[in-house]
Amino acid sequence: MTTGTYYAIDVWGLLAAMLMVAVAAGVSGLMRLGVGRTLLWSACRALLQLCAMGLVIGVVIRSGSPWPVVALIAVMLAAGVQITLSRAKGVPKGLAGPVFLALTVTMLLMLALVAELIVRPTPWYSAQLVVPLAGMLLGNTVSALAVGLTRFFESMRERRDETAMLLALGATRWEAARPSVVSSIRLGMLPTTASLASSGIVTIPGMMAGQVIAGGNPLDAAKYQFVILAAIAALTLLADTIIMLLVYRVCFTADDRIR
Amino acid sequence: MPAPGGGDVTLFRDLAFDVGAGEVVDVTGPSGSGKSSMLTAVARLNPHATAAMALDGVPAERYDPQRWRAAVAYLPQRPTLTGASVAEAIRLPWTLAVRDGTGDADDGASGRQRRFPRIRTGGDRRARHLLPDERIRATLDALGCSDIELERPPHELSGGQAARVALARTLLTGPRVLLADEVDAGLDDDNAARVAAVMAQAAGRGMAVVRIRHRPPDGLAARVLTLDGGRLTAQAIGTAARTAVPGRAEGPGGAFRPDGATDRGDAGDARRPGGARHDDEEKAVAA
Repeated sequence: MTTGTYYAIDVWGLLAAMLMVAVAAGVSGLMRLGVGRTLLWSACRALLQLCAMGLVIGVVIRSGSPWPVVALIAVMLAAGVQITLSRAKGVPKGLAGPVFLALTVTMLLMLALVAELIVRPTPWYSAQLVVPLAGMLLGNTVSALAVGLTRFFESMRERRDETAMLLALGATRWEAARPSVVSSIRLGMLPTTASLASSGIVTIPGMMAGQVIAGGNPLDAAKYQFVILAAIAALTLLADTIIMLLVYRVCFTADDRIR
Repeated sequence: MPAPGGGDVTLFRDLAFDVGAGEVVDVTGPSGSGKSSMLTAVARLNPHATAAMALDGVPAERYDPQRWRAAVAYLPQRPTLTGASVAEAIRLPWTLAVRDGTGDADDGASGRQRRFPRIRTGGDRRARHLLPDERIRATLDALGCSDIELERPPHELSGGQAARVALARTLLTGPRVLLADEVDAGLDDDNAARVAAVMAQAAGRGMAVVRIRHRPPDGLAARVLTLDGGRLTAQAIGTAARTAVPGRAEGPGGAFRPDGATDRGDAGDARRPGGARHDDEEKAVAA
């Protein structure tokens, strides 16, 4: 894969990037946009988190054992649950279990299908492949679940009269909740389908861009990217469906009354 | 019920009444006395109330909630119409699994719940087959809605029109008991009379009708129940006497009997402290 030249970034590169952020923040300060401080703070956080992740992945790759990989993915899953719940607004408590289940099931499918069936790395737990795959999938499912959950409970509140009417006419709780489930899954999937359709024309997605920059064959990079995008889109829809099936009944009592 | 400032409020406790097939009963009482809560409890829609009920002598627990609500239909005061047209709004009940006629009636009375939601297709075509345009048209005409085209978007209807379309939707499902929550509130006298006539017809075919009303009596109801201060008192039309007769005999078609509808008040009963629940045959009903 690394047949071409690889251009490393030194400390001065990092400083230059930070300087760009600082200048942008300065402009924001002059124009009183009020986003300068957040931008600077977020950039510093991103720098630290990314460098830490880079170091950790390096250690995990060198360890030559599957257990550090499993542990790292478990930590990422836990963080994914926490971030999903903190981003979802206006949702009831007690959703950590369903969110964890949805993220874990799709993660296992991703690793089983994409890593072990399509790419087949040696060793099978190759951190170089598995950890970035896990990260890309989580990045997508976490935001889809956060948007989907927020929209579902918002829609159920808006549709309270309609839900009551449906139940009064003999609807099951699934039939009464279905319009909200559909609208929340549609909204949660929107960025994913949009990125699928626009990739290659408007955008060169991150993974392909990275491989090309690292000197990989662009066509190989494109194939890789397609496999990843397709798998992520399918699994995001699956994660959204799982969470909705687990969560919609929260709005109803055991005998199908609105809570 | 949960009170706005926290804690619980008890609206009513130990209410009992029965309604015979083909009978029309009116419910009155000051606003906030819990009339709607009582009817939603009877339809098993109210999450804060429990009730021991029977329909045709079969206890409510033997029905699953969907079957019970299809038979004991609550019509809310605020009409909610969905879909792109009046016809679609009225056909909504026929897109639901409870009316798809695929043998679910078997587990209907056993109280079992389907464990997994069912994905169904072709609901619209089946609904059109089960409820043709002509039946919808005839029902709307009878309710004084001959000026409403079936293709009209529901959001263009006036409040009174929407209320009657919602009534038509529930009437066409043919429930055994109709619980109508102030259906004629937004109507002029002529149209209120039309609605009353249609309900009288439905009662003539054996439907039991319970109406929450604020209008002056229209001569349709045999009894008026008054819910006030957590107590239900009955008044037979024409006698002006408020009586409580224990152990009313079932009428020949004795359709429906909720015993002891109790609004759960966990933090205490404001009106009747220590009021114990009793499921005996005492009924605040005058025949």
